[in-house]
Amino acid sequence: MTQILGGHLVGKYLKEIEKVDTVFCISGGHIESILDSFTEYEIRTVDVRHEQAAAMMAHAWSVYAGTPGVCLVTAGPGFTNAVTGIANAYLDNAPLVVLSGKHPLRDDLKGALQEMNQIDVIKSITKWAATCYETKRIPEYLSMAFRHAVSGRPGPVFLELPPDILNVRVPLAQVPMSARPTRKFTVHPDDWDLRQAADIINNARRPLFIGGSGVGLSCCSAALGQFIDRTGIPFILTNCGRGELPDSHPLSLWDVGNVGIQLGMMQADVVIAAGLRFNWLLQSGAIIPPATKVVRIDIDPHEIDRNRTADAGLVGDASSVLGQLVPLLKRGEHSAWTRDLRAASRAFLTSELELREKPSNPIHPIRLVAQIQKFVGEDAIYVIDGGDTCYFGLTGFSSREKAGVMATAAGLLGCLGTGIPFAMAAKLARPDKKVLLLNGDGSFGFNSMEFDTMVRRNIPVVCVVNNDQAWGMIKHSQELSIGAERLQCCELGVRPYEKMVEGLGGYGELVTRDEEIVPALKRAFDSGKPACINVITDPTVTSPATPLFYQSLKMD
Amino acid sequence: MRLSLLLFILSLKLRDAALRNRAFKNYIGTVRLNILIRTRDGKSGRLFVFDKGSVSSVKGANHACDAALVWSDSGTAFTVMLKGTDEASFQAAAAGKLTVEGMSYYIQWFNDAVKLVM
Repeated sequence: MTQILGGHLVGKYLKEIEKVDTVFCISGGHIESILDSFTEYEIRTVDVRHEQAAAMMAHAWSVYAGTPGVCLVTAGPGFTNAVTGIANAYLDNAPLVVLSGKHPLRDDLKGALQEMNQIDVIKSITKWAATCYETKRIPEYLSMAFRHAVSGRPGPVFLELPPDILNVRVPLAQVPMSARPTRKFTVHPDDWDLRQAADIINNARRPLFIGGSGVGLSCCSAALGQFIDRTGIPFILTNCGRGELPDSHPLSLWDVGNVGIQLGMMQADVVIAAGLRFNWLLQSGAIIPPATKVVRIDIDPHEIDRNRTADAGLVGDASSVLGQLVPLLKRGEHSAWTRDLRAASRAFLTSELELREKPSNPIHPIRLVAQIQKFVGEDAIYVIDGGDTCYFGLTGFSSREKAGVMATAAGLLGCLGTGIPFAMAAKLARPDKKVLLLNGDGSFGFNSMEFDTMVRRNIPVVCVVNNDQAWGMIKHSQELSIGAERLQCCELGVRPYEKMVEGLGGYGELVTRDEEIVPALKRAFDSGKPACINVITDPTVTSPATPLFYQSLKMD
Repeated sequence: MRLSLLLFILSLKLRDAALRNRAFKNYIGTVRLNILIRTRDGKSGRLFVFDKGSVSSVKGANHACDAALVWSDSGTAFTVMLKGTDEASFQAAAAGKLTVEGMSYYIQWFNDAVKLVM
């Protein structure tokens, strides 16, 4: 009778049932037999230098590849290192499957190596967390993990597997194995709610559609395209939703960026929000005037009236809901309103639009972003990490790609350090696309050792460091709150990050003048190596995100 | 003339609010910011200086500032500012009669400050 090692059941299930071809990990003794199963079942491993990056890359894989990302970490510190990435995935609703080692059950409470209660730590930041206690049930537990990760509102799941079950053999014939990969179910709103929403949209004079990550997770390009074509409603897509329709779509407002969102929400008579939480970035819904009608579409019924009572609430997957809504909608025309919205937004952006075109020394970050966009173009994936840097990148980059412009640090966790792992995962998931990472110099420090991973694994991401020599958002907030003469822990100075990358085997270049930006980008992409262009930018520049951040923490 | 008077009255109200209006005092906090309101031709304008809880003001359209509201003409500025609504400002901006120079967020901050004293 054929015997199989418990650890090999993991690889077998991942490859044969869920069709997983890539796992992000760091090696560890507790998980050795799982690692060996990846050799057996030909699963690619991407071994990083810190488990935080493994979790973040797996999260990013779910965004760029469209399938749940899997990371494997060892017990104890391997697990705790991954916690930040898991928390970030939880707040971003990303279907992340975390497999973890665990101290031997045999040695429980004896002071075993790396013994700790991992489940209690992880429960509050996962959709589902469990320990498997029996070798034969490993596939069953994995199946549960995937099911929880993708069903309803997606999110991270955690499964710990102790050596007691991984390092023993069982007869393969006695192991129940699922017959198919995890199914994704959709939920449909009530017909009455659909008619009510259609009625509001059909009677709107100044409507605005805003889509968030739920739009991206539901892959709703086709349904959203039909909705926009039929209604003629101007729209803006954010977070993972960006790119479901291209930024260059005639009704997309990304050419006027965040100002377009702010003005649009303040002036619209109907706001249709899909797969989007009304969180602090939208002033918890307070940005929308009380008289404005709100149509919410969300897969989670708890979001429908959260922070703002909706006039119509449609529970379901964004793609499915929009598909059902379209036949109920009249053909609409809102060109005058769209023109006004765009013109008014541009009037508020006069200075920013001028800065894009004007060479600047010291280099202004807005100009830096404009030059990058001009060189790299729309056929690329942009990842942005930082504080102020996120604002400059989000408003200045545009792409035709799904999730083509993502400010990974601008999620609810505000998780700096996500940029490098996300850019790496983007390049692995879509190797034919250029991947450009714009990183603040502060956030660059968190995961910059992953340039070693990029060199070892040949992941040629080009990273441009927007180097304002400080934790800029914090520095400028402190200037507003406690005064420029009392700055604390927020200045970094000029550091040769490009030399660090060169030392690891990548390509590096320092840029201090405007005219050097484009030639440096060309050389970086031409090198075919992971690259770092360290651009010294004007340290006095503040983005509008800084005062917004500062105001959000004021308590009086 | 009407615009100059309106801006002067606004400066008095802001200065007074910085001394007596608790909500306004909390709102402006320790911010240091110079906001200019002027006409495009540079003939009318006033600078509003927020400096760690105090507000002062200087007449004129040619001051250095962090952000400026630039009106096409004094008549439009007077009419829209007197209305004091976001919609009126939006319509003026859409019609090319109002532009912002500098960071628009500062203007939003200033407008919200003004709402607290009106």
